[in-house]
Amino acid sequence: MKRLLAALWRAISSRALLPLVLGFFLLAYIVIAFFTDEALITLIALTGKNFLLAGVLALIPLNCLCRIVLEARRGLARRRALKNAQPLPDPALYDESVELSSAAPAGDLEQRLTDAGYRTWKNGELLSAWRGVSLWPVRLLFLAGLLCLFGGILISVTSRQVSRQPMIEGVPFQAPSGQGGFIQRIVLRNADGPILLKELLMEVSGSEQGGSFRTFGVYPPALFGGAFVYPRYLGIALTYRFTAPDLPAGFQDNGVFPIYPPGREAQLPLGGAPYKVHLTLAKSQDGSDPYMTGSMEFVAKVVKGNDQLFTGTVKGGGELVRDGIKLAIIDARRMVVTDFVVDYGVLSIWLAGFLFTLGACLWLPVRLFLPRREMVFSWEGGGVLARSRAEGSARRHTGVFHEVLDVIAAEHA
Amino acid sequence: MLALKLFPHLFAFFGVALLMLRAFPGRRRLIVCSVAAGFAAGGLGTLFLILNVPGKFPFDLIRGVLGASFFLFWGVAVAALYRSSERVVAGVSKPLPRPLIPMLSAVVGGGLAGAVAATRLSGIDSLLVPVLLLAGGGILMAAGAWWGELWLPASITVSRPGLFAAVVSLLLFSASSILRLDLFSPLSMKVMKGTHDFVHQFMESVLIPDHIFVRPKIWGYIGLLFSKEVGFWGGMIIWFTPVLLVALAIRLELLPSVAHIRQGAQRRKLLAAAIREKRLRLVVPAVALFFFGCAAYRSSFPTVEYWDPKPLPVVASPSGEIFIPRKGEVELEDGKLHKYLFKKGTQEVRFFVMVSPATGKLTVDLDACAICKPDGYGQAEGSVICYYCKTLIPLETVGMPGGCNPVPVKFIEKEDGAHIDAVTLVNSWTGTVQSTAKKEAAK
Repeated sequence: MKRLLAALWRAISSRALLPLVLGFFLLAYIVIAFFTDEALITLIALTGKNFLLAGVLALIPLNCLCRIVLEARRGLARRRALKNAQPLPDPALYDESVELSSAAPAGDLEQRLTDAGYRTWKNGELLSAWRGVSLWPVRLLFLAGLLCLFGGILISVTSRQVSRQPMIEGVPFQAPSGQGGFIQRIVLRNADGPILLKELLMEVSGSEQGGSFRTFGVYPPALFGGAFVYPRYLGIALTYRFTAPDLPAGFQDNGVFPIYPPGREAQLPLGGAPYKVHLTLAKSQDGSDPYMTGSMEFVAKVVKGNDQLFTGTVKGGGELVRDGIKLAIIDARRMVVTDFVVDYGVLSIWLAGFLFTLGACLWLPVRLFLPRREMVFSWEGGGVLARSRAEGSARRHTGVFHEVLDVIAAEHA
Repeated sequence: MLALKLFPHLFAFFGVALLMLRAFPGRRRLIVCSVAAGFAAGGLGTLFLILNVPGKFPFDLIRGVLGASFFLFWGVAVAALYRSSERVVAGVSKPLPRPLIPMLSAVVGGGLAGAVAATRLSGIDSLLVPVLLLAGGGILMAAGAWWGELWLPASITVSRPGLFAAVVSLLLFSASSILRLDLFSPLSMKVMKGTHDFVHQFMESVLIPDHIFVRPKIWGYIGLLFSKEVGFWGGMIIWFTPVLLVALAIRLELLPSVAHIRQGAQRRKLLAAAIREKRLRLVVPAVALFFFGCAAYRSSFPTVEYWDPKPLPVVASPSGEIFIPRKGEVELEDGKLHKYLFKKGTQEVRFFVMVSPATGKLTVDLDACAICKPDGYGQAEGSVICYYCKTLIPLETVGMPGGCNPVPVKFIEKEDGAHIDAVTLVNSWTGTVQSTAKKEAAK
């Protein structure tokens, strides 16, 4: 049982597991790409639904967790070995390991090592020397980043729920949690930040009369009833009425139309009438954004069969009348197509981004300017056990290590 | 002329044989026989498939095997990098592998080289002379490799990942001169699509705002990930990374531990020898890198002449119909694509008509696809090529929508020819060009 567990631990904490699993998913992607153009979306959907695939993906965060434990144990063992660990830890933790005959530590070894730029520690039969800063914490950060990234992906793939709702000014809405709110106002204005061009504010109160009041922006997305509020597209909510000589009863309806920015076209549904109305939001004469100002004018193209009857403009609240045909825009309000995303993996992915950035910022200067170099000598039973490792500048460090070994051997002779 | 066309393939075979001989020293006779037998078997097998299985199956099969070998090479390269931190004990040489491994490697390597070379003979009516030419060339190259390997400096050694790198690079170099076996251009397209999907999915996953909220300059940077260049450069990264990983693995290999040696001079000598040996082992990956580069270049700039007729101007009837007669000045059923130009005001629409080999019926398609800039198509053997992204579209699939296929246009096929609605044609063109122009603008 113990051997089985040890083998399992070796497999699950192996460095090779991550590329193996990634290779497996790459292969799956390639195979799916033979059958569909939407290979990535299909693979994500399959992984979310299929227990086996999700299990394979889950191996990565599990592997990262095991490697964090392993790396922490190794780092602590190396750290302890510098000061007082007996016996010395596994030689696999070092680049070089050698055993020589030697009765006792020579007196000037410490001085030699200090002259070579190392800090030393002597405690009875143990002499250790080191310089530079260890990348061990950075490795832990990197592994933690991987854990967060793939943990987040796993959570996201298996549990993400998206519900799309149009958020219309002055209209209540229903969040997926069942909680509702009343959208008091939607504001689009120019932003002065380095990344965002426009700022979108959705002011939501508990009820039409007021109550608790919240404002939702574009980024970072806020949480509402356990779901991230993710504004996707802007559009206009319209209430319209269409009448024609051969349609005297007319047709009235309301709907949301993704016709922002100006120039985008949408077709008004007319309940099977032989007419088609293509609507676009007109550009303002003064160059201002009609969505920002709220002063909206629409260009309507009326078509019957294959014949275009006429084109005209109509303001929100106004009418367009031509040849007995009347199009009235009774109401026009700002609208934001919003996704309510229940996905806590997002937080983990954001955290992974932060950890990777932090890790990279620490790794580069340490690796370039202050790489860790260590050596440790332990005298025991007429011999010395010497171990050495370097995270950078290895050639010079190895030279110093070999010289020290030569001194120990010469003194013994 | 044929001998000239066969030269890159025979050269690749020569390289494969030479590498095998150097990688498995002590088994020269076995290797040279195996690699030659593999070449003959691969060549004959491919010719058998081409002659007996119509269509593109033989080409797809060989391209699939080449793709799989490249994928496997990625695995070998990553494994080599992972194993690079293992300490090699000084003075301990690796045992000679059992004969089966060298023999199988040589047969597979030679077989693939033969298969790729034999596809060059596709479409030739009388095969006797070309087959004899290929067989003779193969024997000559195997003998040349046998002799040439003796002249190679003994210090140049081949690691297992290095051998894999060089053999795969030579096979891909050989395949790059045959349009239907080429891997780099389709890889670039897949990378472009994959990157587009990944970026889109990633942005949605981490809830990044849509472009209307983001400054155009910032969006321009994001837009780079949606451009054609990302396909090319992404393809280059995927293409070259494994061989660079192999080189890096050699570079990162730990030097042998010499801490147990107490003579400084001996230590330095051993380390210097190990460093020299490491550097010389980089020669083969460097050669592989060169051939990967050649393959990518040949794929990006193929030396094939395409059938690309000048578009003939057409006009619509008063009822808005464009009629392309089946017979007349242009014979629509001659197996070639025929381009036309329709002008409406300032709008110019390019389209082509041809007989689909899959259905035997006419197909009318825009001289543009829904993905790329409308640079148009040319016709090569068994396929049309998108001039913009160099993707080959099998003739059998022309007339079907999707991917980089020419956008099909609705029309009515009658006995006398194709009847096309001018409005439908113009709308289809406008929609396609507008959507591709938007993608271009996003760059």
